[in-house]
Amino acid sequence: MEFLRISLSRCAALFRRRRLDEELEEELQVHLELAMEEHLRRGLPTEDARAAALRDFGGVTQTRERYRMQRGMPLLESGWQDLRFGFRHLCRNPGFALTIVFSLALGIGATVSVFSIAYAVLVHPYPYADPDRIVYPLLADRSGRLDWTQLTGAQVRELAKSGVVERLSARVNRTMALTDHDFPESVTASFQTGDSFPMLGVPALLGRNLGPADSPSGQAPQPVVMLSYKFWLRHFNGDPGAVGRTLELDHKEYTIVGVTGPRFGWGGNNGNIDVYLPQRLSDDLPADLSFFVFFRLRQGITRAAANAELQPLFEQFASETPENFPRQFRVKVQRLEDGTIRELGGTLDLLFAAVSLLLAIACANASILLLARGAVRQHELAVRSAAGASAGRIFRQLLTESLLLSFAGTALGVLFAYSTLGSIIAWLPVDSFPNEANFHINVPVLMFSGGLALLTGVLFGIFPAVQVVRPGIHPMMQAGNHRIAGSVRGTRLHGALIVGQIALTLLLLTAAGGAIEGFTRMNRVPLGYDPHNVMAISIPLQENSSTHWAERVHYFTRLRDKVGELPGVVSVGISTNATPPDSGWNQTFALPGKPGDEEQKALIQFVGPDYFSTLHIPLLQGRIWNAAEVDRGATMVLVNQSFAGRYFPHGDALGHSLEVSALKSQPPDLLAASGSDGWMQIIGVVADSVNDGVGHPIQPAIFMPFSTFMFMGTQILIRSRTDPYPILPSVRKQIAAVNRDQEVGVHGDGRLETWIRQEPAWARARLISGLFAVFASLALVLAAVGLYSVVSYSVAQRTNEFGIRLALGAQRNDISKIVLASAGVRVGLGMVTGFGLSLASTHLIAHWLENSGHDPLVATAVCLLMVLVSATACLLPANRAASVDPMLALRCE
Amino acid sequence: MEENKSEVLQGTLDLMVLKTLETMGAQHGYGIARRIEQVSEDSLRLNQGTIYPALLRLWQRGWISTEWGTSENNRRARYYSLTRAGRKQPEMETANWERIAATMARLLAVR
Repeated sequence: MEFLRISLSRCAALFRRRRLDEELEEELQVHLELAMEEHLRRGLPTEDARAAALRDFGGVTQTRERYRMQRGMPLLESGWQDLRFGFRHLCRNPGFALTIVFSLALGIGATVSVFSIAYAVLVHPYPYADPDRIVYPLLADRSGRLDWTQLTGAQVRELAKSGVVERLSARVNRTMALTDHDFPESVTASFQTGDSFPMLGVPALLGRNLGPADSPSGQAPQPVVMLSYKFWLRHFNGDPGAVGRTLELDHKEYTIVGVTGPRFGWGGNNGNIDVYLPQRLSDDLPADLSFFVFFRLRQGITRAAANAELQPLFEQFASETPENFPRQFRVKVQRLEDGTIRELGGTLDLLFAAVSLLLAIACANASILLLARGAVRQHELAVRSAAGASAGRIFRQLLTESLLLSFAGTALGVLFAYSTLGSIIAWLPVDSFPNEANFHINVPVLMFSGGLALLTGVLFGIFPAVQVVRPGIHPMMQAGNHRIAGSVRGTRLHGALIVGQIALTLLLLTAAGGAIEGFTRMNRVPLGYDPHNVMAISIPLQENSSTHWAERVHYFTRLRDKVGELPGVVSVGISTNATPPDSGWNQTFALPGKPGDEEQKALIQFVGPDYFSTLHIPLLQGRIWNAAEVDRGATMVLVNQSFAGRYFPHGDALGHSLEVSALKSQPPDLLAASGSDGWMQIIGVVADSVNDGVGHPIQPAIFMPFSTFMFMGTQILIRSRTDPYPILPSVRKQIAAVNRDQEVGVHGDGRLETWIRQEPAWARARLISGLFAVFASLALVLAAVGLYSVVSYSVAQRTNEFGIRLALGAQRNDISKIVLASAGVRVGLGMVTGFGLSLASTHLIAHWLENSGHDPLVATAVCLLMVLVSATACLLPANRAASVDPMLALRCE
Repeated sequence: MEENKSEVLQGTLDLMVLKTLETMGAQHGYGIARRIEQVSEDSLRLNQGTIYPALLRLWQRGWISTEWGTSENNRRARYYSLTRAGRKQPEMETANWERIAATMARLLAVR
């Protein structure tokens, strides 16, 4: 109660300061007059009376000050004062203040954005209920390689009964055509079994989720559809009235029952699912329809227990459908994030390390500057201390300034993080992170980095105050003996900071050099084909269309020829599954006397005869099929150089035969030419081209006429004279002229150059080398600034000494040498440490960076760069020291 | 001569001011200071200025109230007087002081 009353009156006093001051003034005045009158009455002369009155009073100013302290909120008031003073002080040294603020902002911004991405991708990407228990089975073959498996409807039902499974979701994805528009549009549909949505446990944004009732057993599924959030925005402009309306897919009406939440991306690869439809699991499903399965583990079942439990079940499945299973395998259930961690985890670890280094360098830089600044201010602080400022007051003053800097740095860092987050995400490899991931600034990380910045500021900002408060103010004030010896405390700390900073910078530079080298090498690897001005379009077939082999061959040929009629198109080629850089169907094959086994595999590519000329892949030996041979599905193949070299090392591949037994017709979807699973003759050898992804070695490949084996769709490659993208609308028109119901799919913008950029390995290499280059350059700049300020500061400290040396006959060169030598030792030490660190971490970096280089030339270049930058940072102040006028320096105070 | 005067002990000035106001009634700052000096018969070194922060402290606690009046030399001056809450204070503070003084005396008596 009393406390409250006092606080209130103190608070109130804050706002009436002027009036209260006037009243106090009046009161004190009256007091002095009364006292003086009394002394006069006692007979003292006027002057003496006044002096006596003042003496009795004992310090008007002190009384005023103590009265004010008692009256208002002294901490608050002096805090405000400190803030204003600090601000003015920093404004007088804008270079110093800005450097610290920017250092901290860079460190904090980089850390926060990278950590935020890592958090969104790795720690908390899935919006589903209890996502840790949702798993999917992968099969590890003998070599440990993990592979997906597909199960038939009957097998899925069997699996759902397993004791470890709580609920199971199976899906089949298929392209459908949206047929209520002028042009049919492809949509990606995901057919989900009844338990899928209940397993995920998240509510629909609008309407309801699909449920078991939509696909009752023994009946055809209900004609209902659920829209994905993005599709809903795109097609219904986010109109809530969409629910209840109908959607025409493949000429059939579906009632829209719901819309998924914004982050819902189940069943797709890159948030690419447009619509969800119910799927049943009855006995009467086509035998070849197979499902991808996910399931929720029962509470308390570990993944190891699930693996053990499911192993015999999957072995039973393997005996039923051996074509879907490797010969020997172990079941390994995976959490949803395991794939992401495999794909991106290393990259993010590496970026973590890089930004942590950057943050450390930034903090070191801030510390160095604060220390240097503090040392310069020793004199000022000593004077203030002698003039009566209490230790606490000086502490508070310095603290305020440091906090001001730290807060400004943090605020700028947050802005910086916000603005960079988007561009880093744009550089993340497509498909490498869950499409459900929700990227936003991570508050705990922000707190951590900001806290670190504050700590740095506070620790190193009040360091000078500690020195002042220690005994020995007087020597500090006396003509500045510190200017001669440069023996200010903290020099050792300074040195350590510089060494550490240079070491970390060198480490970052080396890593960046390695990453950039790897990326350049990846880009320099000859592709073996020419992606420039080539575009790929995909032609998916609708269900039950072109179900006869000859009909389908003819249809694809007609589409290709129609596109080829366009002016500006140089050549067109069919490439069912052979669009580089990651193409083909990895299958075992047999050679005479060498039956197929798991080790003898090649990428089977189904192409038309114009494929090679369209991609500029040269023919090395033999010949390419003619049109008639393709039309009749001739059993003739071409192989690439890698194939020929590995299996026919004597250059005699032509005329030999091979057999791919997997090429069996499965009408109505898979149509094979007669004799496709028998022996086929090699009639030509073409040059190697990248076929297993950029950055990976080229695999043996077998090219077959596309008519040999046709899926429910194909792709057409189009080479045009100029950029192909603008002719895409004309291409669509040509296709529609053949069949107005035919959809045209385009991956990205269709350009093959874009296909390369979307390669995970390529994108990852670009992300890492790009970010590392940026981080390393920032680190280099920070280190240079740190070094520069330390050397300048030590030069300023020793101006007097240099004056004496010059007066005693030292040459200007000698002065430069002294400055450079003292800095050189630290730089050298830092570089040796940094070099040692990077050598020690080579192994670690190689583990993270699949394509990192470790060219000694790069290491040398990095060191040279470091030396060059350090030398520049030291030379500028050294020259300034050398050019000092001895007379001025000696008088310098 | 000066050396024989004792400093005003921390915390005792408030009691002196309260006691003075109890005996003298409403009084201005100078009056209070002079009264304390007179009662102490010049054995106390009082910086007169220090009573102003003390007065403010007492006012903040609600023990004394202020009003503007006219001084002996016809100037506007601030007069201080005890409030109802303040009237109880001298007794309590006195008891407190005696306890401290007794403790000190006992401590000093120990050899």
